[in-house]
Amino acid sequence: MVPLVAFQVLSAALFAIGLYGVMARRSAVLIVMSIELMLNAVNINLIAAASHLDGMGKWANFDGQIIAIFVITVAAAEVGLGMAIILRMYRNRSTVNVDEINLMKW
Amino acid sequence: MTAENLTANLHLLTPEFVLAGFALLVFVLDLLLSDEHKDLLGWLSALGLVGLAVLSVLMLAGENESLYNGLLAVDAYSLFFKVFFCGIGVFIILSSIDYVKKYLNHPGEFYGLLLFSILGMNLMAMSRELLTAYISLELLSFSLYVMVAYALGNPKSNEGSLKYIIIGALSSAILLYGLSMVYSTLGVTRFEAIAEALMEGEVVSPALWAGLALIVAGLGFKLAAVPFHMWAPDAYEGAPLPVTAYLAIASKAAAFALVLRLLAEAFVPAGDRWDQWQIILVVMAALSMLVGNLVALAQRNLKRLMAYSSVGHVGYLLAGTAVLAQDSLLGANGVIFYLVGYSVTSMVVFAALIAFFNATGQDEIPDLAGLADRQPFLAMAIAIGLFSLSGLPIFVGFTIKFYLFTAVANEGYLWLAGLAIFTSLISLYYYLQVIRQMYIQPALAAPAEGDEHRSGEEGIEARPEAEAEEHLHTPAHHEPASDYVPLPRPSPALIAVVGIGLVATIALGVYPAPLLELVESASAAILPGS
Repeated sequence: MVPLVAFQVLSAALFAIGLYGVMARRSAVLIVMSIELMLNAVNINLIAAASHLDGMGKWANFDGQIIAIFVITVAAAEVGLGMAIILRMYRNRSTVNVDEINLMKW
Repeated sequence: MTAENLTANLHLLTPEFVLAGFALLVFVLDLLLSDEHKDLLGWLSALGLVGLAVLSVLMLAGENESLYNGLLAVDAYSLFFKVFFCGIGVFIILSSIDYVKKYLNHPGEFYGLLLFSILGMNLMAMSRELLTAYISLELLSFSLYVMVAYALGNPKSNEGSLKYIIIGALSSAILLYGLSMVYSTLGVTRFEAIAEALMEGEVVSPALWAGLALIVAGLGFKLAAVPFHMWAPDAYEGAPLPVTAYLAIASKAAAFALVLRLLAEAFVPAGDRWDQWQIILVVMAALSMLVGNLVALAQRNLKRLMAYSSVGHVGYLLAGTAVLAQDSLLGANGVIFYLVGYSVTSMVVFAALIAFFNATGQDEIPDLAGLADRQPFLAMAIAIGLFSLSGLPIFVGFTIKFYLFTAVANEGYLWLAGLAIFTSLISLYYYLQVIRQMYIQPALAAPAEGDEHRSGEEGIEARPEAEAEEHLHTPAHHEPASDYVPLPRPSPALIAVVGIGLVATIALGVYPAPLLELVESASAAILPGS
């Protein structure tokens, strides 16, 4: 059986990649995608933990799966809202490059 | 756990069900009403919130129960915050009716979203489990993202909202990762269970440590505490003014309601074994006080000024949360009392600024020049509000600061209390700059109507020259009282909000005892050990 720590390493790596994407990407759409990656890292962590909490991989504790379903739902809503705001941004300013979205500083 | 357990005391959730239904009703009525009658929805929402506050007090006073097997708490603490949030909602709605009518499209949805965000805040004060807390936090945040973006054609509103949602989503991801780490080490997410887990075992495992630290960081984003404050000034400046007020007052109070319960129920009981959270909070508090108040010195836009000053106030509040202790209610009392006093005072300032914006469409500090001649009531309200925010006596601002800083000093953080007093002095300087504009600077020429959608470049950089030119070409401006343009009277609703706020600012400053009793019963509910 795959040990829990393998899932946790995968999850941490995904989270780190997502965080890097948020900081390195310049397109607002790609930033939102990177945040999705971070939320998926959370889901992997939760579901793996839910199946391993008894130490035998037998789904002893369902809370993790339930939390993961909530996280997926909230993430979907978040993307919907984010895309609506980015679309509005594109209509007003004709760009979604976060370097050019600089009307306000400091 | 049987199904009976889950539904046994469901009636305790009545206020929440009523509020959710009421918000949906407002959305439906919005479809039926014609455009010129949409402000009725505002009055209806305000009335509904008053009714809801009364209903909550009648139904829930004296209850101390928990629902859904310990996910939600119905106690004096959540009741206090429920009434408090409803009150904030009423005042925000009353002060935004004119603004919404004049500047925003889709007024019905504005009020509906506001009601949903209040539902989220109420649940935040009630929740004693991480996932429940997170979902209610997101209910509040999602409503706020939309409300910040509500001025559809205004690029600043757009930009503020984009920055807010990206940083908000990032902070949720961080918070959730912390939650998943706590879950994978403990298998539970209830606050009490976290406290129990922290108390047993040899050492607190590093994974749990990291998870809790990530949760604190994620909440720090929502609180706009330094170093997680970058979104706040932009979201505040871009948002329509009533939404700025709402962000500054309500979202802050709700986030603190959640943080306070989390700390009191999960961290404080294990304070002997794991007290590093105090260090995190103290560092965040000190940085917030310093950065917020120092950067505020450089601001020209009133909303930005209020944003940085609110970062400073978050610093004071965090200092109060850092000294929460099992055997003393002082810290919790100080924080809750500070939240109420800060909200009352900010409400006065923001309502007066909204009235000013409704009349002129301006929100830069130099635009306030000569306001004491043009509209003395508003000038007085802003001046009293700002004096109170900086902590001058007789106003509530002094009482809350005195109470909170005493609590901080009592718990041994004398240097932090000293830093708080020092930064309050700094804040007096930039508040006085605004007051100087209103009372000493002569009034400028009649403001151009309808320039509320100035782009940022003009707003920040080009305006000084424009004003300088005005002075050159029309020397008559140097003779005050000869050519100032009086502003139209604010609407009765705004005058009522400012008036009630002013009375409360002075009354609570002079005689806070009745409120303090309520505050004490609220904090005793989350810290039963003392």
